[in-house]
Amino acid sequence: MSGDLSAPVAGLRALLLQALHPLAMAGVDQHSDWRQDPVGRLAATSAYLSTVSFGERAAAERAAARVRRIHATVSGVDEVTGRPYAASDPALLLWVHIALVDSNLVARSLFGTPLSLPDADRYVSEMVVAAELVGVPRAMVPATLAQLASYIEATRADLMCTRAASESMAFLLDPAGLDEDIAEIWQDIRAGAVGSLPDWAAELYGFERAPLTPERRTEIRQALGVLDAVYIGEPGVLEARQRIAVRVRAAHQHT
Amino acid sequence: MTSRRMGRRLAASGIAIVGSIVLAGLGVAARRQLGTRRKQAGGSDPARPIRAAMLRLDRGLAAVRLVARGGARYAGSAPRLFAAAGEQRQQLRQDLALQTAEDVAQTLGAMKGVMMKIGQMASYVDEGLSPSVRRTLSRLQDSVPPMSAELAAGVVEEELGSRPERLFAEWDPEPIAAASIGQVHRAITRDGRAVAVKVQYPGIAEAIAADLENVALLRRMLRITAPAQDVDALLAELRERILEELDYRREAVNQTLFAEFYEGHPTICVPKVIGELSTRRMVTSELAVGSRFADLAAMSQYERDLAAETIYRFVFRSLYELHAFNGDPHPGNYLFHGDGRVTFLDFGLVKHFTAGELYPLMQMARNLCVRNDPEGFRRSMELAGFLVPAAPLSTEEVVEHLAVFYATIRKPGPVTIKPEYSSTVVRRFFDVRSPVAEYVSIPRSYVVLQRINLGLFAVIGELSATANWRAIAEEIWPFVRGPASTPMGEAEVAWQARRSSRQTEAQSL
Repeated sequence: MSGDLSAPVAGLRALLLQALHPLAMAGVDQHSDWRQDPVGRLAATSAYLSTVSFGERAAAERAAARVRRIHATVSGVDEVTGRPYAASDPALLLWVHIALVDSNLVARSLFGTPLSLPDADRYVSEMVVAAELVGVPRAMVPATLAQLASYIEATRADLMCTRAASESMAFLLDPAGLDEDIAEIWQDIRAGAVGSLPDWAAELYGFERAPLTPERRTEIRQALGVLDAVYIGEPGVLEARQRIAVRVRAAHQHT
Repeated sequence: MTSRRMGRRLAASGIAIVGSIVLAGLGVAARRQLGTRRKQAGGSDPARPIRAAMLRLDRGLAAVRLVARGGARYAGSAPRLFAAAGEQRQQLRQDLALQTAEDVAQTLGAMKGVMMKIGQMASYVDEGLSPSVRRTLSRLQDSVPPMSAELAAGVVEEELGSRPERLFAEWDPEPIAAASIGQVHRAITRDGRAVAVKVQYPGIAEAIAADLENVALLRRMLRITAPAQDVDALLAELRERILEELDYRREAVNQTLFAEFYEGHPTICVPKVIGELSTRRMVTSELAVGSRFADLAAMSQYERDLAAETIYRFVFRSLYELHAFNGDPHPGNYLFHGDGRVTFLDFGLVKHFTAGELYPLMQMARNLCVRNDPEGFRRSMELAGFLVPAAPLSTEEVVEHLAVFYATIRKPGPVTIKPEYSSTVVRRFFDVRSPVAEYVSIPRSYVVLQRINLGLFAVIGELSATANWRAIAEEIWPFVRGPASTPMGEAEVAWQARRSSRQTEAQSL
C-alpha cells in the first residue's frame, strides 16, 4: 500500500526503453545538459513526476504547462536518422509515457506486489490523464492492457539503439565512482531493469542477460527493500507515504 | 482513483531513487578522492586495517545518507543511545493499520524487518552510526503501523484456537504498545489477572528467516551500518539472536527464568509469564504499570540514584548468577515504581553465557580492580580474545586505553556517572585512531555483552546517578562476595536468605 518496492527498477527500465526512441534520445542529447549535470537532470525529472503524482491538480497542471513550454523550444534534426524532431511531438511524448506505464506494471509483477489483471487494466486507463497533461491527445493514448501491448508492438519499428542511447545508458547502468558495497546493490537494481526488458529491447542494446530465476528475483527484491528503507529515512518521505496511504484508504471506502 | 495514485507515485519514487543512487555514487567518489589525498599527505604510512575501516566508514555514511553533502562527522555528538530505535513508534497509527498478512510482508519483508532488528541492535553495538544512519533506522521503525484489531485477533485464534474475546475475560482490541515485530494488547484472564499480550505480526518470522539467508547482502549492509566491527562475527551473532527472537516461546522461557530468580526481590520485578496463554507467536505476562523512563527526569535525584542502583544490580547479578544477560537495555523496557523499584520488561533478546565465557570477564575485573595486577589484566584480556596476544604495546598503554571501562569500579567511594562518562566510554570503545585499537577486538560471544554494557552506562549516565559502584560490584562479584553496602544491599541479603531456604525446602521435598 505504501508504495511499491519495484519503483527503482521500473524507473531504470523506463529510461532504457525511452532512450531507444532515436528522436526522443536526440532531443535529450542535443538539448539537455545531462552530460554536464546528470544528477540535476534526474532530480528535475523526479521533481516533476512527484508534483504530477502527489500534487494538487492545479500544481500538476502548472508543472505540466512548464514542461510543455520547454518542450516547445526543443526541436532539431536527428543526426542518425536525418529526421526532424520536436519535443512537443505527441508521438514522442506518448512513447515516453508508455515506457513508464509498462515498466511500472512489469517491474511490479516481477519484484513488487503484482496488480491483478483488472487492476492493471484500470491503472493503464487511469494513466491516460498524465499523458494528456503533457500534450498527448486523449485519442492516441492506449487505455487498456491490450491497447498498450499493440501500441508497443507497432512502435517497435521506430526504435533503435543510437550511439547517444548506448552511451547515456552505459553511464546510467554503471555510474562512475560507485563504491564496492553500493555498486553491488546497484548491480541488483540494474539486473532487474535489464532482465525485465522485452527480448527485442535487450537485443537492440546487445545486453547479455542472466535469466531471472526465482532466487535471483528474491535477491533483487531484497536489495530493493534496502533501498526503500534508506529512502524512508529521507526527510518527509515517510509522512508523504502515510498521507497517501490514508487518502488511498479513504478513496477505497468511498467506492 | 486508487491505482492511479499508486501507479503514478511508483514512477515518481522510481526516478527519485535512481537519482539519489547516482548522487550517492558521486558523493562517494568525491570522498574517496579526499581520502586518498589525506593518505598521501600522511606520508609513507602503509594502508593499515584501521585506515581501511575509516575509509569504509566514510563510504558507508555517504552511501546511507544518499545525499552528496559533505562534512558531517559521526563522532561529534554525545551518544544518546536511546534516541535510536523505536521510541517514537509508540504513537500507533490506527488509520494506517495493517489489514492482512500481505500488508505485513510488504511492510516488513524484503529486508526491512531484518534492518529494523539490526538497527535496534547495532544502535548499541556501534556508536560509529552516523546521526543519519540512526535516523534512517528509527524512521524505519516508525514506518511500521500496528496490526488492525482483526489481524491481531486472527493471530491469537490461529495460535490458541479461539478468538481473543472468548479466550480472555476481557480483551482490548486496541494495542497499547509496539514491539519490534509485534504489538502489545491489554487483557484480563478468565481467572481475573490483568495481563499484557504480545502478538507477533503474521508471516514476519518466515519473512525475516528468509531474508537472513541473503548473507551477502547482510554483510554489505553491516559494512555500511557498523563499519568499526568485525563484520562476520557480528553478522553471525546478529543472525542467531534475531532467529531466536522470532520464537516467542524462547522469550517466555527466558522471562520465566528471570521472574523465578528474582521472585521476592526487594526492588527488582519481572512480570510472570502465563505459560498456557503463550505460544510461538504470542506471549502473555502479568501487566505491570509504572512510570516510564522519561518521567524520572521529574523525580528527585535520590529517586533516580535508587533506580540506577536497581538497574545496576539487576544487570550484574543476572550476569554473574544467572549467567544471562537481558540484551535489551532500552529505557522503554523499564517501568519505575518509586523507592528504587523497577520492573524489567521484554526478554526477547537474552544472551546466555557459559562459565568458560564468563571466567575471563571476571578475571579481567579481578586483576585490574581487586588485585591491581596490570599484567594479569592483560593476560586475561588476551585469553578472552579481546586483545591480540603479544601485541607490540606496553601494558601501561593497554591499561590506559581500556581502564576507562572500569573507571567507576577501580576504586571504592561514591562516583557519579554522568552522561559525559558514557560518551567517553563509547567514544573510547570506537576510537579507531588509538594505537591500541588495532589490536583490540570483540569476540563473537561478547558482542551482545558489549552492547548491554554501553546501553547500561548510557541509561545510568542519563540519570546522572551516584553510588559506590565498587562496593555494589563487590557484593555481587563471586570472587569477593562483599558485605551489603547500601540499604538495598541489605534488603537483598534478606531476599537471598529467603531464596536459599526456599531452595533447600524444595530439595528436601
